[in-house]
Amino acid sequence: MKKTFLEGAIASDFIAESIAKHQSKHSIGAHNIFLGQVRGDEIDGRQVTAIEYSAYEEMANEKLHEIRESAFEKFDLTCLHIYHSLGRVKVGEICFFVFVSAKRRKEVYAATEYLVNQVKEQVPIFGKEIFENEDFQWKVNS
Amino acid sequence: MIKVHYFGIIAEAAKSEGETISSPSIPLKSLIGDLTEKYQLDSYQFQIAVNRKIVKEMDALELKTGDEIALLPAFSGG
Repeated sequence: MKKTFLEGAIASDFIAESIAKHQSKHSIGAHNIFLGQVRGDEIDGRQVTAIEYSAYEEMANEKLHEIRESAFEKFDLTCLHIYHSLGRVKVGEICFFVFVSAKRRKEVYAATEYLVNQVKEQVPIFGKEIFENEDFQWKVNS
Repeated sequence: MIKVHYFGIIAEAAKSEGETISSPSIPLKSLIGDLTEKYQLDSYQFQIAVNRKIVKEMDALELKTGDEIALLPAFSGG
């Protein structure tokens, strides 16, 4: 089972290293990356300062495995990686990282969008929006 | 024993991340009915997973020892 969940924000160094690791894969001609960043929404006059993520990890990992398999069936990909934060991620930090690689560029755009949508819709991850005063509300994806 | 997990707003309502039901077998529908009453979950929307798969139709489902169920509010990853 591939590791998806990381504790806390996804660091830019981690993303840079992920890119560097692919330099030895010479069949790749195109990468595409999606980064989800925690947005500082204002809700009823209150400012979101962070999102705290939790997940049903056992089910999430099974679902992620199915999503990966389906992406390889649908698109001609060399490799793909999905990472998502757990715990608290502050506004402006990265919480979601999808990295798709293929021979040619056309496949990677569609595959990235497919993966991002599948993760948002199918994977049991729950976000709690934390306000300045530590008040919170459960996030609903729009 | 049947394991029950709560997540997100449901865990908050139940003031717990889960519990173990000692009954060796119970219809899913009656377990959900019991939990809904116990934690007053009527106003919440949630899906139910049995052994990590979302259940679409819970009427005929009988839970047995070793089963793992989860009450899942709307997913909000990303």
